Amino acid sequence: MKEYDVIVIGAGNGGLAAAATCAKAGLSTLLLERHNIPGGSASSFVRGRFEFEPSLHELSGIGTPEEPGSVEEFFNRLGAKVDWCKDSSTFRLVVPAKEGDKDAFVNENGVLVTVDARMPVGFEAFSRKLDDLVPGSYESAMKAFRLSERMYKAFDCLGDADGIAGVLKALPYMPDFMRMTSHTLKEGLDALGMPKKAQDIFATYWCYMGSPASRFDFLYYMAMLHGYIKNGTGIPRLRSHEMSLSIDKVIRDNGGDIWYNSEVTKVIMENGKPAGVVVNGNKEVRGKRFICNASPNFVWSDLFAEADIPQKQLKMTNVRPVAATLTTVYLGMNKTKEELGIKDYSVFVAPCSDSDEQFALCQDYFSGYCIINCLNEIIPDCTPAGTSQLFLTSMTFGDVMKDIQPQDYKKFKTKVAKDMIETCEKALNLTIQPYIEEIEIALPPTFSRYLNTPLGTPYGYMLDMWDSMIPRTLQFMQDQPFDNFLFCGASQERGDGYGCAYHTGEKAANLTIQALKEGQ
Amino acid sequence: MASPIKSLKAKAFLPMLKARQARFEAAPAALPAGSDQARVIARALHPHRQYLKVAAVTERAADCKSFTLVPDPARGTEALAWFSAGKYLTVFETIAGMPVTRAYSLSSAPRDALNGQYELTIKRVDGGLMSQYILEHWAVGTEVEVSAPSGNFDYQPLRDAGDVICLAGGSGITPFLSMAHAIADGDEDFSMTLLYGSRNAESILFREELDTIAAKTDKVRVVHVLSDPDAAAALPGAEQGFLTAALIQKYAPADAPYSVFLCGPQQMYAFVDKELETLQLPKKYIRHEMFGEFHNPASQDDYPSDVPATVQITVTIQDETTTVTGSSADSVMQILEKNGIAVPSRCRSGECGFCHSHLLSGEVYVPRQLEYRRLADKQFGCIHPCCSFPLTDLVLNVPPAK
Repeated sequence: MKEYDVIVIGAGNGGLAAAATCAKAGLSTLLLERHNIPGGSASSFVRGRFEFEPSLHELSGIGTPEEPGSVEEFFNRLGAKVDWCKDSSTFRLVVPAKEGDKDAFVNENGVLVTVDARMPVGFEAFSRKLDDLVPGSYESAMKAFRLSERMYKAFDCLGDADGIAGVLKALPYMPDFMRMTSHTLKEGLDALGMPKKAQDIFATYWCYMGSPASRFDFLYYMAMLHGYIKNGTGIPRLRSHEMSLSIDKVIRDNGGDIWYNSEVTKVIMENGKPAGVVVNGNKEVRGKRFICNASPNFVWSDLFAEADIPQKQLKMTNVRPVAATLTTVYLGMNKTKEELGIKDYSVFVAPCSDSDEQFALCQDYFSGYCIINCLNEIIPDCTPAGTSQLFLTSMTFGDVMKDIQPQDYKKFKTKVAKDMIETCEKALNLTIQPYIEEIEIALPPTFSRYLNTPLGTPYGYMLDMWDSMIPRTLQFMQDQPFDNFLFCGASQERGDGYGCAYHTGEKAANLTIQALKEGQ
Repeated sequence: MASPIKSLKAKAFLPMLKARQARFEAAPAALPAGSDQARVIARALHPHRQYLKVAAVTERAADCKSFTLVPDPARGTEALAWFSAGKYLTVFETIAGMPVTRAYSLSSAPRDALNGQYELTIKRVDGGLMSQYILEHWAVGTEVEVSAPSGNFDYQPLRDAGDVICLAGGSGITPFLSMAHAIADGDEDFSMTLLYGSRNAESILFREELDTIAAKTDKVRVVHVLSDPDAAAALPGAEQGFLTAALIQKYAPADAPYSVFLCGPQQMYAFVDKELETLQLPKKYIRHEMFGEFHNPASQDDYPSDVPATVQITVTIQDETTTVTGSSADSVMQILEKNGIAVPSRCRSGECGFCHSHLLSGEVYVPRQLEYRRLADKQFGCIHPCCSFPLTDLVLNVPPAK
């Protein structure tokens, strides 16, 4: 029986990156995926004359020709070709006013709001705009961005240079690095003297990682924001399916095998270590090393005998809260974005401006929190002439489906979608409902079906202060279950996001390649 | 002046590492019990397979029977997946060593699924391998294997109008019967006017059932449209002729938007689509059930000339590679099945993408009306074998029909 150098479980972004990196390094590689297409969240689907993007808002890792971003560089390393479309906007935050709000004003849409912040790309431009909206916030914003620049230099020193020389070069940055990673976004911005209202606008992207300003570490938030603001963002022209298939091609072209519709149903143990897997309950495949893109919770409960699971893994599973769950509504519209009156790619509609208050409201549905994206803003011809597509996202935490029975699910999801659409209609003074030609609604059960994660989260475990990115990174090896079995994907050190998942997959692959070399 | 960030203590960092591991150490080391509800719902609605048994057979017409299907716990199915009216089941059979699949709309009420009953109604199709097999072989006690309820031909209140004109032809009545039940049971909320085309009063399927539902709720109205000469005269309230634009207009609300749903044979779509063009309804208000399996690609005006009659397909499924021969008049899926190779399949109309495969070399023809592939699929050489017809020898990578 053939023994692969490495078996990768799951063809999500992390698994694709891992398999491509291993195959390119000449390892005999098998990628196993339970679905019939690659990508996990990074995919697409067709309804009528529309092809929808299922999950990607934008990639912060798409830079400029002079300064390519991390995701671009990763695709370049693999030799995977994707037609990137640049987005030179960031976000617009709209907070509709409530009765009695003293600082309410009527915005360009004719809606009474307390915040309407359309933020530009570039540190200087972003900080100026923030200062226009909240006088006295320019300096603090620029300080925050300068800190993030320094942190990137520190990362570069640690990553690039050989051994101790790099560490020495990084030393001057370390005190600020330690300050930022051990304090929350809120503590950081307070220390820089940023006015509260400016902090709220500054923290808008908290939902991309699912931790509000009092629980998100300052370092990682700034690293993320830096990626979006510095050079703008990008998306693939043919939806995320293009990215996933381009990596699929790299794996095949480099001699790797990919088996779709091939679910790992059991991990075979020998001498206390994984030695193979059972596929679809009936086919054994052996491997020297394993990289697992599947959610640890279900890997342990579904693929291993309880006695074979390292105690620490069970403990970790029990103590780490599952991160945000999402609800998305995909709308194929029989009007153009101009006819609908949409002017932004990405608008965050929030019932209040404070991220912790938003987080509290998102413990259940009907929170009034909704992000609305219009893909035609970046790719004008992504739908047929006279049409457009919208993509609405809201966020929840915990088992929000607990009272819903399968037979009530369609009615419930329709009600949730209607609420989200109406939230956007009201906040932006739009008319959406009469023009819906195609609609698809994804609630946590949809994500559970396609991603097979606890609660259906695409985000992994909550990036809380106690379990934040830098401690996860430093303790990566001691948190892995076996020396020949590494996890990658959203459950790992960087949390969710395409770029984060690619990074964890590539890192697990490089560790695997190195271990196989050393073993020979 | 010191940078304001210096007011934060750097030494807070080191204890974080210890504290994190301590938090893990203190946690219970047992597998968490039970499933979250998102997973429960996902699995209940989308079981990988459903193993059923025929519990009753009802003769609907000389060439049409209904089969009541119930769960078969002995083979692992305890309960039936709930569905919304309009969904279909794919039936898996092996006929003379050949794996065959067909999609059939559920004709029963969604509520019945909660009580452990589905109904499929199958009418003989001329030259139809599966329909013939089922009508001849399925009897009480027959073991049946089906997919989860699938498809997109169900009512969506945020998209469809509150008034729906449903156009049914022949056995295309099945999803509409299920919808009518769902309306009567309160599971769907819309007004249905069913214009049901049959040859004559005798060939109408479910006439009594439809009358019973229409008597129960004023949201369901049934109009029989009979095409045999003078057939309507024998049935009070029936219309004579075909499903024309004029007939749709006669029954559609005059001053409110309405949706048109169509389900019937391919010839009916060809006729009704032309009629609908004259009504100039927005696309959003016209919904077709799937086209069905496509035959005779050479009849299409964009089909190339000089296609060899016979082609070779080399197919790899996981780690097994086989080379087979077939007719270029058959779809890639049919060729593989005729050679005893099972391929993942659901809709067999190009739409669902369940058979998504990688074409490594060779060329295929895809009929325009069945082109539902993603944009990137075309760029990276992925095909839907159910509606791809070989133009040359092919090398393919196909997932297993797990």
